[in-house]
Amino acid sequence: MTEMLEAFRMVAAPDVLVAILASAIYGLVVGSLPGLSATMATALLVPVTFYLSPIAAVATIITASAMAIFSGDIPGCLLRIPGTPASAAYTDEAYAMTRKGQAELALGAGLWFSAIGGIVGTLSLVLMAPLLAEMALSFSTFEYFWLAFLGLMCATLVARSSPIKAIASMLLGLLIACIGMENPAGTPRFTFGIPDLLGGVEIIPALVGAFAVSEVIRAMVTPEPPPLPRRKFGSILAGQWRLTKKYQVPMWRGNLIGIIIGVLPGAGADMAAWVSYAMSKKFSKEQEKFGTGHPEGLVEAGASNNASLASGWVPALLFGIPGDTITAIAIGVLYMKGLNPGPTLFTERADSMYALYIIFILANIIMIPLGIAMIRVASLVLRAPRSAVMSVILLLCAVGSFATGNNLFSVILVALFGCLGFVMERNGYPVAAMVLGIVMGSMVEQNFITSLIKSDGDVMPFIERPVSGVLAAMTFGALLWPAGVWVWRRFGGGRLPAAETPR
Amino acid sequence: MQLSDRVTGAVLVVLGGAAAYAGSRLPAVPGQDVGPAAFPMLIGIGLVICGVLIALGIGRSFEVEEAEAELPAGQGARRLGGLRALIPPAMLLFYVLVVDHLGFLPTAAVIVLVMALALGARPRLAVPLAIIAPIFVHLAFYKLLRVPLPAGLLPVPW
Repeated sequence: MTEMLEAFRMVAAPDVLVAILASAIYGLVVGSLPGLSATMATALLVPVTFYLSPIAAVATIITASAMAIFSGDIPGCLLRIPGTPASAAYTDEAYAMTRKGQAELALGAGLWFSAIGGIVGTLSLVLMAPLLAEMALSFSTFEYFWLAFLGLMCATLVARSSPIKAIASMLLGLLIACIGMENPAGTPRFTFGIPDLLGGVEIIPALVGAFAVSEVIRAMVTPEPPPLPRRKFGSILAGQWRLTKKYQVPMWRGNLIGIIIGVLPGAGADMAAWVSYAMSKKFSKEQEKFGTGHPEGLVEAGASNNASLASGWVPALLFGIPGDTITAIAIGVLYMKGLNPGPTLFTERADSMYALYIIFILANIIMIPLGIAMIRVASLVLRAPRSAVMSVILLLCAVGSFATGNNLFSVILVALFGCLGFVMERNGYPVAAMVLGIVMGSMVEQNFITSLIKSDGDVMPFIERPVSGVLAAMTFGALLWPAGVWVWRRFGGGRLPAAETPR
Repeated sequence: MQLSDRVTGAVLVVLGGAAAYAGSRLPAVPGQDVGPAAFPMLIGIGLVICGVLIALGIGRSFEVEEAEAELPAGQGARRLGGLRALIPPAMLLFYVLVVDHLGFLPTAAVIVLVMALALGARPRLAVPLAIIAPIFVHLAFYKLLRVPLPAGLLPVPW
């Protein structure tokens, strides 16, 4: 109980409250601008977190990412351009509602069910994390290897891409992670004689390049989106309670799917939204209405992507394995602030953990008033000329990556990863899989090699230990799933609608 | 830059092969079977397999074609359309090369100006933006976050 009070005291500190408010506004604005994703919003925040207290630093990341995921619904609904990839699954549906004159209902559903999803996801984090922490204490390098590898495999199942290309992207990320001397033997690898590469490729420049600079490059070769017509909105929350009662089952299913996908290492909000939208369509009593402006899918997927955001912190806090690209950044910040992820975090730093839960709940509550305000000024924000936004973003990319180590080499890395990310995305290679490969590369290798040394080169312990056997089966399931779908589509039913294959 | 799957697949095969070869030449740790060579070799072999499969077009049925509207042709200097993509990375390299000599404010102003004009802003917007934005970024990073941005030719009064 004293820990709980201590946690409240920590969150109520003025610097934490200011950080929450400022990052909420930042997240809402960045998320609503098409092309600027929640991951990018978080990556650009990292240099700022250097100078904040530990709780304030974590608070900015939690708040900004939650706000950005909701806010991505706004341009999706009004312009048919998703603000963040996690909104892409139901953009067409929301836009169809706007065209039917139900923009308020669609935006309100995005906001209301995002907040509910976020709170339910947080409760799952509160309940699950301590239970799993107990189990995690008995984990050895074998289990950690499989967990990290499972995370990588889940990342390759991310929507809308060929699984082979996704695996290739992930392997490319792992190869990039090999650079430097951060390996079990301390041998410099693939450094090409460049001293700056001895320490390996830093994760923040890679993220900023792959997500932000590639987006700036894309803006150079795509036409500017149409300006948003000025409009007056009616009441945003009117009718949401009716929707909540009417679509209770889809809402809870969305929350549940979001939580499960979030807990899986490597799979995040984008995948949760795609899977939930497909589920909603499949189980709906009114399937024919989907795509014509029907709120049911919006309810389910909107709740799902925010629920996954909170439960994505479970593997991050327990094992240091990111649930998605946002928590990949968060893990770096946790280490920097002395809150090293691991099962003991829940016993030794319980007050900080409670503070984290409180911040999650708080962020999702203030999302409603701030979100309504954001919707009302959206036409103003979205009117900002793209030429101004993108040129300032590029400047921030340069300064932000320089700030992570006061090293100009990071700026070169940012430029390289920007080109790489742009080319990969153009050719259907998912960038997120590569980034997770870079983040988890040294962890996978470390645990793999240590396990092999422990077992004297024997692979049996990898599958003999009970927990690691289950994890191994899940990993191979994720690997073989696309092959199974392909075979089934080819020789079996052959009528499997494309939207239902979790890709 | 849209490349065919054969090209990207071939690039992956070459990259994977090079990684596996270079990995196999890494020195082993004396008295141990697995060392720094094992992981790059595994990844290299994996990349070669993926590259071959991609070049053969396997798994393409999973891809969703995204109809992306390119810039319509014949709109000003659009013949150089593809090269415009190189402006942002070129600007970042420009930053690396000159920031220590010119200082942060002039370098940042050039970057913002070039980017804004390249994205089609009118000079009426681009010039004020190029003057104001670097000052705000400098204030935020230099004063608030204490990042040592070089002063160069134009030291700031704060």
